[in-house]
Amino acid sequence: MLSLTQVEVDALLLSLRIAAVAVLLSLPLAFACAYLLARGRFPGRLLLDGLVHLPLVLPPVVMGYLLLVLFGTKGPIGGWLLETFNFRLIFNWTGAALAAGIVTFPFQVRAIRLALEAIDPGLEVAAETLGAGWFDRLLGITLPLSLPGVVAGAITAFAAALGEFGAIITFVSNIPGETRTLPLAIYTALQSPGGEQAAARLAALSIILALAGLLLSEIVARRLRRRMGR
Amino acid sequence: MSRLSFSALALAAFAFVLPAQAVEPVTVFAAASMTDALNKAGEAYKAEAGPEIRFSFASSSTLAKQIEQGAPADLFISAAENWMDYLAERDLIVKESRAALVSNGLVLVAPEASALKVDAISSATDLPGMLGAEGRLAVGDPDHVPAGAYAKDALTSLGLWSGVEPRLARADNVRAALAQVARGEVPLGIVYSTDAADQAGVKVLATFPPSSHKPISYPVAIVKGRDSAEAKAFLGWLKGAKGMAILQEFGFIVAP
Repeated sequence: MLSLTQVEVDALLLSLRIAAVAVLLSLPLAFACAYLLARGRFPGRLLLDGLVHLPLVLPPVVMGYLLLVLFGTKGPIGGWLLETFNFRLIFNWTGAALAAGIVTFPFQVRAIRLALEAIDPGLEVAAETLGAGWFDRLLGITLPLSLPGVVAGAITAFAAALGEFGAIITFVSNIPGETRTLPLAIYTALQSPGGEQAAARLAALSIILALAGLLLSEIVARRLRRRMGR
Repeated sequence: MSRLSFSALALAAFAFVLPAQAVEPVTVFAAASMTDALNKAGEAYKAEAGPEIRFSFASSSTLAKQIEQGAPADLFISAAENWMDYLAERDLIVKESRAALVSNGLVLVAPEASALKVDAISSATDLPGMLGAEGRLAVGDPDHVPAGAYAKDALTSLGLWSGVEPRLARADNVRAALAQVARGEVPLGIVYSTDAADQAGVKVLATFPPSSHKPISYPVAIVKGRDSAEAKAFLGWLKGAKGMAILQEFGFIVAP
């Protein structure tokens, strides 16, 4: 059985916290984007599609660099945050959460979009003819029916966020207890002489977490679908 | 297209696939701090009708581990003796070829626009105070990067380590730490004097007294099984007058 040192437990808990915050905070925006892409017909829709999927194909280091330029203390957004709220994303776990959230954003959008497109449009049209407003339709029909996809997407994104390395190390650096997540801890262990044992333990742990995340995502999605009689 | 023109095209494509190389390039794995100096040395050597020199610059720890895994390096230049010892213990270098190449100094740096001033670094220097409430001290990771290890050495012997240890921004190599200072993301950093010398956006606040840390020595050696004539020739040239002149130009301290 894996017995972890305190340093490794810290890395694990930090990873879980960062991934959870990343996914939960990006969920509303992901839903909005997925809704626009699934239902909307507007000029620039293709561009939005491209932008949403950009983190999937962009090298994570480039993502980290862009974040550094925008959200570093000398960047336009980062500088404003520092002045207005004395809030710093760089060298901070919140910056790591931002990086993880952006890189896993496409996973959520894709899953939610698929779920939205699978909803029978007839149901919403029927509701509209019966007098339900846009918001009522969203809350009463769209959200509940797309829930399996939303949850599956969130859990998948969570598992992916646990594994984010390039963007985090480039943007917020490798600070134990603050930004040293599991992948960064494995990388550090590999660099140090005699760190192979620790690296192997952490790698095994990462594999278990990732696998558990993917399986859970599938199980939850199936349960929810069954409950809705599909 | 016709059969003949297609064959002609395919044949022409082959001409690009087979490289016309009479001599193998020499691959040198070197500590990140030597990037600019060695690039220039490589160019000078090639101009003198030597073969091309291919460099891979990273932290000495990263490079040593790569060589251990069988990376195709001919020469290894480390920023610390311990990583050369690491390879020597595993019988991965040609022991007779090992030599001390150059030396370096350790400095405390700040962004160009910084208002901080230090007369001389001593045990009385208030580093946490200079960092402020939120600032961090950029160093190479003391766990494995030589520059970080020297920094930890120096800070410990001056009694300043415990005060700054929780405030470190650990970088993968000394160049990354330097970049953080140059970008103004951190108020202070500890890098080699050669790094600070030529970097725009960074100024030296003070030099660490040489007595506060182990002498910074850059050992060089030929990797076992890679002692070709070209590798030996380049090593000889680097240790000779022309090579040393270029290294000195960049601020490295040459043994008399």
